[in-house]
Amino acid sequence: MSHRLGNRFIVGATTALALSLGALVASPPAQAAGKGPIKIGVISEESAIVGQSISQGAQLAADDINAHGGVMGRKIVIVTYDDHASAADAVRAFQRAAEQDHVKAVVATFISEVALAIEPWSARLHMPTVTPAAASDLISKQVHDKYAQYKYMFEAWLPAPLLAQSICDSADDLLVKPLHIKTVAIMSEDADWTKPLDEGLKSCLPKVGLTVTTEVRFNPDTTDFTPIFNKIEATHPNLIVTGIAHVGVQPTVQWHDQQVPIPLGGISAQATNPTFWKDTNGAANGVITQTGTVQGLAITPRTLPVAAEFIKKYGHFPAFTGFTAYDAVRALAAAMQREHSTNPDKIVVGMEQTHMVGTLGNLGFYGRKDQFTHAARYGKGWITSTFMQWQNGKQVCIWPTDICHGKLEFPPFVKLPRMAAK
Amino acid sequence: MGRSLPVLLLIVALLAGGSAPLWLGAYFLGVLTTAFYFGVFAMSWDLLFGFAGEVNFGPTFLIGLGAYGAGLLNTAGLPIPLCLIGGATASVLGGLALAVPALRLRGPYFGLITLVAVLLLIDLIVIFAGVTGGEIGMMVPDVLSISARVNYWYAFGFMVISGAILFGLSRSALGLILQATGQDRIEAQALGFNVTKHKLAAFSVSALFSGLAGGMLTFYEGTASVDTVVDLSIAVQIIIAVVLGGRRTILGGALGAIALLLADELLRPLGQLNTFVVSGVALLGILFLPDGVLGLVLHPRRVRE
Amino acid sequence: MLILQILIDGFVISALYGLGAVGFTLMFGVCGVLNLAHGGIMVIAALIGWWVAATYPVGPYGGALAGIIAGMAASYVTYFAVIRPIQRSRVIPKAEEEIFILTGTLLWGIMIQVGLDYVFSNNPVTMRALIPGVVSLAGVRTPLNELLIAVVCWVVIGAVSLLVNRTRIGKQLLAASINPRGLTLLGFEMSRIYLIVWTIYGLLAGIAGVLLATFLGAASTNAGALTASAFTVVILGGLGSVPGSLIAAYVVGYAETITAYLVAPTLRPIPALLILVVVLYLRPQGLLGRR
Repeated sequence: MSHRLGNRFIVGATTALALSLGALVASPPAQAAGKGPIKIGVISEESAIVGQSISQGAQLAADDINAHGGVMGRKIVIVTYDDHASAADAVRAFQRAAEQDHVKAVVATFISEVALAIEPWSARLHMPTVTPAAASDLISKQVHDKYAQYKYMFEAWLPAPLLAQSICDSADDLLVKPLHIKTVAIMSEDADWTKPLDEGLKSCLPKVGLTVTTEVRFNPDTTDFTPIFNKIEATHPNLIVTGIAHVGVQPTVQWHDQQVPIPLGGISAQATNPTFWKDTNGAANGVITQTGTVQGLAITPRTLPVAAEFIKKYGHFPAFTGFTAYDAVRALAAAMQREHSTNPDKIVVGMEQTHMVGTLGNLGFYGRKDQFTHAARYGKGWITSTFMQWQNGKQVCIWPTDICHGKLEFPPFVKLPRMAAK
Repeated sequence: MGRSLPVLLLIVALLAGGSAPLWLGAYFLGVLTTAFYFGVFAMSWDLLFGFAGEVNFGPTFLIGLGAYGAGLLNTAGLPIPLCLIGGATASVLGGLALAVPALRLRGPYFGLITLVAVLLLIDLIVIFAGVTGGEIGMMVPDVLSISARVNYWYAFGFMVISGAILFGLSRSALGLILQATGQDRIEAQALGFNVTKHKLAAFSVSALFSGLAGGMLTFYEGTASVDTVVDLSIAVQIIIAVVLGGRRTILGGALGAIALLLADELLRPLGQLNTFVVSGVALLGILFLPDGVLGLVLHPRRVRE
Repeated sequence: MLILQILIDGFVISALYGLGAVGFTLMFGVCGVLNLAHGGIMVIAALIGWWVAATYPVGPYGGALAGIIAGMAASYVTYFAVIRPIQRSRVIPKAEEEIFILTGTLLWGIMIQVGLDYVFSNNPVTMRALIPGVVSLAGVRTPLNELLIAVVCWVVIGAVSLLVNRTRIGKQLLAASINPRGLTLLGFEMSRIYLIVWTIYGLLAGIAGVLLATFLGAASTNAGALTASAFTVVILGGLGSVPGSLIAAYVVGYAETITAYLVAPTLRPIPALLILVVVLYLRPQGLLGRR
């Protein structure tokens, strides 16, 4: 090559490199940690309804805390980052939060894949991190197995095996005795969080007297559910238990359009969205799903006031992640206040002592010796989760039966073993 | 212009890049570390596309093989250097398995077959979730370092060495023959060059560096997942980086990748819309500056031939 | 019974794939454009159709009409904002136009998807069935809407092939696909012909998007997969060949359906990809492609 060409090349490359490095230097210098506000980072996907509720719930919690004097006299400031549901993007946002914006804690994501990509970074950067919804049991397993490194990770909602337990507990109360349902088919999207869910279901459903006729797992990119319903119908179950989050609208609409005569219940994350009725044009009628709460239900004295504030500020009822993110920020703030410190190890110690009245139940985290270390505690006196059914455009609460008084109702094409329901 | 000035500038840039850990915050070091690995992806892609003229939609097939190959070996207990070699070998072998038949195809057909290779790799990773961790990815037991500075130096050194080798290759006989075949395959054949052999060589080199970079990235992040090393969105970023930085320049790809990742971070305050703005700017870039930044420096007054 | 179910279900899916791919292949045949924003345009039609039907009292047919118009508008914007500037650019070498169109439409597709995310969120939605209810076809419970979709797909595909093969405009399109320079010499404006193709393309993508929304539902995140499936079908059938695309649509549709029914729903996409690999190795120009 000619020297001339080579020279120009190097000049071009150098100039561009110098320009980009210059851009870095010109960016504002990192702020020294002082007595200013305490920053909490929120990493989530704003274009998803559950993701948007996370940042909104966190902001609401910060507003409430600040209105009551803040933490150690300092205000809480929420810094939000959009990860576009990408693990790589989320990790960069996490680094930025920790190393550039100097947040003291992070509330991150509803997607297990993303939470698991962040988890090693929370260990590496010693950053207390709470996921308000990611359900993979691997998250708590890593904390349990490598506690000293991974202790910075917490879950403000239930891990998948406990979600399975809540399905079995509610099925026992709602379906087995009153409706004489004896057989179920499990229908799950092939994703990480549904593996422990399916395992949990297969072990706990028989304990409440339900026989599993088949377990159908399908590709999360599936758009045509006819073959899946067909396969399930061939085994004649009384009920389909779903484990779906990536899909939701499509199977529901096709269940309705094809008039599959088997009730649909379990976890259908999209069905928890208040917009689900409109998204499915009413095909959701009769669908049962686990959720955080429904409009008008007072699980704790905090539920209704927070929901009302949320509606006042954002104009709509939050997805369940709005509540869990709200509780996560409050738990973090309380931990800082309790330990009088924003030191990460102190925050972890404070978080481990959490026992507070949350919006969806009493929030506490399992300890180091428990199976699901640092996940939210499940059961009476803690969080039980709620089951709801879509009935004529409304989310009707049906379980736990001590606080929910809704009665099950199914569309006419659904056939129950004995129509003694009503 | 004198000969010593550009050399001086290059030395200054290398010094600035090499000394960045002394004056730059950990966060930007982290962004640049990732950007440098992307730079190597982009330079490897440019060798095949810019010079050999093949639109390869499957750079992440090679990167993914390298990353997962290295990750799996590490899980089996091998030390990092051996894992990197193993991952790169997997990438080269996979690349050859794809290239030998694929190079019979031209244009969009070649593009599609490389795209399908990526889709099949993703499906395989998900199906064999027991070994690969499925969609959530695979945690590797070892990492290069947990210090942002050390990681930065690894990435910077790796990019500089790879850049030097790839740039040298592109200016060697191999590069010139590739360029000739990319422009006129028949004529190059008539001149007696074994076109397929040279393209295979380019594919192997591209696979070697993609695989190594994929492995390094895995040991930097601590995880390998579909989302971070195989997803098509990564291929899109690589293609855009090369076109923006300047095709057929090798170094332009690295510049484009660094600029693209930095832009993404600097525009983060836009939240949800930063991807929209970055894509829009990139679209304007290819419409009005089709030779890319380095291309503009190289041929400032070129018009349509 | 199961076989009949596979036949019916596969037929509807394949008809949709075919409709989605016909516009794509026509576009390549006549204009030489591989539009990687294809899925994005379909999703625009689907989401706008859903939004109009859900917001205004126009009924499902009004929503469908709005969706189709939105699809056509998106097609025009793609042509005028992305494709034409590349084709007319004085700085992009002719030989490299293809990579620029691919990169440009790829970027445009990303912008469409992110823009839709911003406006509609990425929540999937479905449009109300154009005809509700189910019928029993020899014991197979089949929604009427699915039958309607298959019929509409075939009527539209038939209309397009009539237009291409039997009308003056169609003959000009055919001529343009074979020898654009000759047509220019005969005094035809290529830009007029391009505009006609983009109109037909927008119409087809709009109809396909709306039908998709009434059957399988649509979300902004589907855009990439829709493009990939159209690309696959079109290459498998042979670039530019409409009958080839239709055959390929049925090969892919049935391969997926049979796998989902008889093997495992998790493996659904794989056989179609393998068939594509084998066909491209044995017959690189696709099933009915010309070289």
